[in-house]
Amino acid sequence: MEHIHPGADTLALPPILDLTAAAALLENLLTLRGRPLSLNAGDVQRLGAQCLQVLLAARAAWAADEQDLSLADCSEDFLTTLNLFGVAPKTLTYCKELP
Amino acid sequence: MDPMAAIRETFFQECEEQLAELEAGLILMESGAAEAETVNAVFRAVHSIKGGAGIFALDALVRFAHVFETALDQVRSGTLATGPGVMNLLLRAADVLADLVRAARDNGAVDETRTAALVVEFTQISNLGHEPPPPPKSQPAAAAPVPAWQISFTPTPPLYAKANETALLLRELRRLGPIEVTVDTTNLPELSEMDPEGAYLTWNITLEADCAEQAIRNVFEFVEDDCHLEITAATPAEPSLKPGDVITGDNGFSFEFFPPPVFDEEEPLAPPEPEHHEPPPAPVAKQSPVEVMAAKAESAAAVSATIRVDLDRVDRMIDLVGELVINEAMLSQRVLEAGIARASGVAMALEELEHLTREIQDSVMAIRAQPVRSVFQRMPRLVREVAAQTGKQARLVTEGEGTEVDKTVIERIADPLTHMIRNAIDHGLESPEKRLAAGKPAEGLVRLTALHRSGRIVLEVSDDGAGINRARVKEKAIENGLISPDAALTDDEIDNLIFLPGFSTASTVSDISGRGVGMDVVRQSVAALGGRISISSRPGHGSTFTLSLPLTLAVLDGMVISARGHTLIIPLGAIVETLKPKAADVFPLDGEINVIRLRGGYVPMVDVAASLGYSDEFVEPDQSVALLVEGEGGVRAVLLADAIHGQRQVVIKSLEANYRAVPGIAAATVMGDGRVALILDVDAVVKTTRSELSRPEPSVLEAH
Repeated sequence: MEHIHPGADTLALPPILDLTAAAALLENLLTLRGRPLSLNAGDVQRLGAQCLQVLLAARAAWAADEQDLSLADCSEDFLTTLNLFGVAPKTLTYCKELP
Repeated sequence: MDPMAAIRETFFQECEEQLAELEAGLILMESGAAEAETVNAVFRAVHSIKGGAGIFALDALVRFAHVFETALDQVRSGTLATGPGVMNLLLRAADVLADLVRAARDNGAVDETRTAALVVEFTQISNLGHEPPPPPKSQPAAAAPVPAWQISFTPTPPLYAKANETALLLRELRRLGPIEVTVDTTNLPELSEMDPEGAYLTWNITLEADCAEQAIRNVFEFVEDDCHLEITAATPAEPSLKPGDVITGDNGFSFEFFPPPVFDEEEPLAPPEPEHHEPPPAPVAKQSPVEVMAAKAESAAAVSATIRVDLDRVDRMIDLVGELVINEAMLSQRVLEAGIARASGVAMALEELEHLTREIQDSVMAIRAQPVRSVFQRMPRLVREVAAQTGKQARLVTEGEGTEVDKTVIERIADPLTHMIRNAIDHGLESPEKRLAAGKPAEGLVRLTALHRSGRIVLEVSDDGAGINRARVKEKAIENGLISPDAALTDDEIDNLIFLPGFSTASTVSDISGRGVGMDVVRQSVAALGGRISISSRPGHGSTFTLSLPLTLAVLDGMVISARGHTLIIPLGAIVETLKPKAADVFPLDGEINVIRLRGGYVPMVDVAASLGYSDEFVEPDQSVALLVEGEGGVRAVLLADAIHGQRQVVIKSLEANYRAVPGIAAATVMGDGRVALILDVDAVVKTTRSELSRPEPSVLEAH
């Protein structure tokens, strides 16, 4: 689906983001690349280090492409685990205009 | 079953294993045979129990395990010397830990004063093992500088491939103290080039915890080969604040020391505050116990290639194999009856089947065979407790823990052994003063040995005490009217008097072993297992109880005989030899009993059929075959039967369970032709030859 409007695509992250989910997540992100994207983390129950890597790399890629990457509706588990990993949620997002 | 319940069950099973490991390790340490790895294993055992208990929010267990673990850590780091006092404390702590685990499993209660007392003792020894504590130590709640560790952790792809997870490690680390984590993404490749299963991140962790480096390394124990790990002390300026002050803090401020579980109950959803200077609340860890257990199971599976099997399944298999053996025997019988030649294909194939059946049976029995270790491991605790109660010093040495015996036997030797060991300490060993006076070390030695001997398991309990006071035993037996005052007894016969019912040599009846139901109960329960017990004693040097038991209670090698048309089985273990009696060698004795001359000696004869009431007439000795059997305590007799049909392995079917106990008959079995054959109770039959009261055979008295 083509978005002429600057509104972003949305990718709902699966509940379990463990190592078996990393490959699919990467693939999904690669197909959505080059356009603004909103990640919905409302269902995430578990986040593993490998999916975290993918998310961090995605943020770098979106920043390189100068496209917005945002997080929406983060679940409690998602935030707790990010905190455990020493990753602030805002380091996973990118906004073209300076905030 | 509900998956959580199943995981919980697994946890408690693992706890039992860890407790066994703990006990074994501590014993090794106590004996001075411990290596560094032993101490590590002991530490790991407690650590694992603590970790698992945390998942299930078993707070009392976690708290005690933590104190215990901290002390062990001090031992490991060398700040606490393992003298006898400390070892004793550690051993008692292991007992309490076992109680706590069992209480948690069965939702039971524990003696909290005992637990608390041990915690205080730990505090004291940790202070002793230390330099004089600086004043701030008694005020841990004050803002004393907490030492910090700097940890750099870089996983490699195999770490993830083995289903380990950084998040879990970080969580585990957070149990040690507050952590501050930053992630280094320098090595992260471009999104399109990255391998989703690669490992590109490095975590830098600052851990504020007053723990040893090894405690941190333990967190990474299962992954240390699959990551780069650097641990440096961030505040090396405080060498005196090494392990131990946590405990010291606990001394005065026990509430401060373990607040998280309390907080946890009150506000279970409260997120951990970064500046909170206590270990974070448990809820995070509770999120994914499945994950943790799965990871644990994985690593455990890598270590040993064993499986846990429900006992019912094994028992069912034993039953089925028993049926198979019977069926195979019936088939052989049919083939024989059909008159098929021995060299024919059918007979040959049948023979092969017989071999296979036998092998299957042996293999199935081997599944059930267990080392006696599980029983032996309970004994050190018993020794400690009994020694403490009696004010004696005792050390237990075990040998042959690896000796295997069928589960049916294992289950039933614990009680007799417990009684015998209690007895050895309570009655066998002297008080430390008496021992020193006799020129022996104050600490008495109790030795527990297991070994295989001619198809039986032999268990020995020996002590290096004073030995049996024969004069007193005899005096007491006369006093109780068990023997006549003028009876001339050999030393061995006097020793064996203690197996008589109601016999206790202790001058005061203690609540340990002198309940008046002493060794005769042991003897009876051993006899019920088809076993024998005997004693040998050397005055001043101690006594040895020897227990001989069949390896299994499920099958038996027996000799098939016939007596007046009845088929009977005589356990092969009891048979010494078979012979063809000659009338000239038989002499009547005392009207009822005949004796046979055998290599210069005389042995009483028993007509099997007559003794079981099959016939009133005695068989003519020269018309029969004779089997020389040896009963309990080496008592011999010659059994007379009509014919011997051969040797066969039979599956034991309990007569008591299916019918009722019959004197002279131990059990029954099903023969090849489908008929039931009775298994002779050799001891009972042999007893009938000994009917004089003056003979101090315990059995005689029991026969009344």
